[in-house]
Amino acid sequence: MIRAEQIAFHVGTFQLQGLSLDIAGGEYFVLLGPPGSGKTIFLECLCGLKKVESGHLYIGGREVTGLEPRTRGIGYVPQDYALFPHLCVERNIAFGLRVHGYAETKVTEIADLLGIRHLFGRRTDGLSGGEKQRIALARALVLEPKVLLLDEPVCALDEVTRQEVCAQLLGLQRQLGLTTIHVSHNLEEAFSVADRAAILHRGILQQVGSLDNLLRKPKSEFVARFMRCENIFEARVTGQDARGSNTRVEVATLELQIPGRHTGKSLFMIRPEDVQVHSGSTLDGQGENTFSATLVRSRDCGGYVRAELAGPVNLVAHMTHGAFAGLKTKHQPSVIVQLGLEHIHVLPV
Amino acid sequence: MKASANTPVRGWRDRVFSAATFFFVSVFILFVLVLIATDVLYVDRKAVATVLSSKFILHALWMSVWTSLLTTSIAILFAVPMGYALSRFRFPGHMLADAIVDLPIVFPPLVAGLTLLVFFSQTTLGRWIQEDLGLEFVFQPKGIVLCQFVAAASFAIRSAKTAFDDVDRRYENVALTLGCTQWGSFRRVSLPLARNGIIAGGILTWARAFGLFGPLMIFVGSFRGRTEVLSTTIFLEQSVGNLEVALAIALLLIFIALIAVTGIRLVGGSALVRL
Repeated sequence: MIRAEQIAFHVGTFQLQGLSLDIAGGEYFVLLGPPGSGKTIFLECLCGLKKVESGHLYIGGREVTGLEPRTRGIGYVPQDYALFPHLCVERNIAFGLRVHGYAETKVTEIADLLGIRHLFGRRTDGLSGGEKQRIALARALVLEPKVLLLDEPVCALDEVTRQEVCAQLLGLQRQLGLTTIHVSHNLEEAFSVADRAAILHRGILQQVGSLDNLLRKPKSEFVARFMRCENIFEARVTGQDARGSNTRVEVATLELQIPGRHTGKSLFMIRPEDVQVHSGSTLDGQGENTFSATLVRSRDCGGYVRAELAGPVNLVAHMTHGAFAGLKTKHQPSVIVQLGLEHIHVLPV
Repeated sequence: MKASANTPVRGWRDRVFSAATFFFVSVFILFVLVLIATDVLYVDRKAVATVLSSKFILHALWMSVWTSLLTTSIAILFAVPMGYALSRFRFPGHMLADAIVDLPIVFPPLVAGLTLLVFFSQTTLGRWIQEDLGLEFVFQPKGIVLCQFVAAASFAIRSAKTAFDDVDRRYENVALTLGCTQWGSFRRVSLPLARNGIIAGGILTWARAFGLFGPLMIFVGSFRGRTEVLSTTIFLEQSVGNLEVALAIALLLIFIALIAVTGIRLVGGSALVRL
């Protein structure tokens, strides 16, 4: 449905470099990245608000690279919504219909769908963030676009409203069958809506895939860190195991095994929720990749406990409250840490 | 001074500071009011009657009104596209063009009249316009409009540019994605949002044109019933010793200026603040 081929664009010292992306029809796609990574610029290139320097853009099989924004058939919700301050809510929503000279019957239909009909006569200042967001969405959807582009659509909302709006966005997208690109820097937001996601950093697309894929199999240290993996270690290869399927490595003074055959230096990660922590201080019969550590600090993060562990290597573990209570760390801060081979992911150096 | 509801809680130092700022406001306003009161006290009924009954003075008033309104209309006609272009587009010489717009604000108004006179009487192009094209400006009513335009149009242009600068481009971008052409986004979004600033600039332009004196004396002179406007009438009346009549006309000008300035506050106060 949406295809970007080798898109290049630069502004000042920032460069969008050879960005290629394929998004299927009806897909909810989230473009992730830290602020300043080029997400908004890419979205604006797709809208036609910025002219790409090279590359090709296709929407619905039609090349739109040189087309004006009005002929691309997209619905666009910019960051902070940009509701027209000189128009009331109803006229904001009807704006596109008026421009095209279409009947305005669709306005009430879309307003009912989004539950904003009661705001019709009001000016846009003084509305809540959630109301503004819905109005901007209605304004974009009233022309029945096939593609919806959302630039940080919920970043200005509080946590509860954000969750509500994300659920509503996903429901609407499924109901209308819209191909959607949702730009965000927020991981929770992505998890609540995305079919697939991509991570952009300094104008370069780092990785595209399902969120599980980005989470478990990141292709770079940046992606791993962006997906909030704190346990990334640089290791020196010391040899192969007896079967030759795993590699023995040394991290600081610790001997570990990582999956696959590697030489020289290696970089590997294990997600905090995959770190296994047991009570006790002796290693007898505990198996490979097991070492003792000390609990340095713990923090209740709501749904889980974040435990900082110091040992031959320092690492972070996320545990359920029950598992953490079972460690009985009040009396004995020493714990046994196990890094399961199946949870270790080797990153390209 | 009554504090508004959203004013923070203030200590005595803040009150002293507020009082100090209010002191300067009071001194200035009092000074201007005293000056106006002096004029009012000096003018007698006879002078007012002379002003209101003199067909030359009423003609000058009419001249001042229509020329300044026409000048303002032409200035806005230039200011809107120029302000938009200077605000939205970057082109070679942009900075120079921006600076040139401000020139007539900076140089003494007298220079405008002098320069126009030299242009139309001493240059080939100027003489061609006057003699061959038949568009006579020197010592003609048309010249009043041209002179006012040169001296005052910059206010409208600068004001329009500031107003368009204040319009967030994202509004235009959204309009483009909703089916507008650039003209459409300008007409439906940018222009309505910049309206107050443009009107404020128009009022400033009109006020400047209405009160213009020096360049008019040089470029069109002050011929009774032909090129005489209110400001030049004041000069003529006081030069022949009719000080009361000159002051009565001045009061008329002040009254009209007061209406204009109040209009600015009511229509486009916030835009004016940023000029």
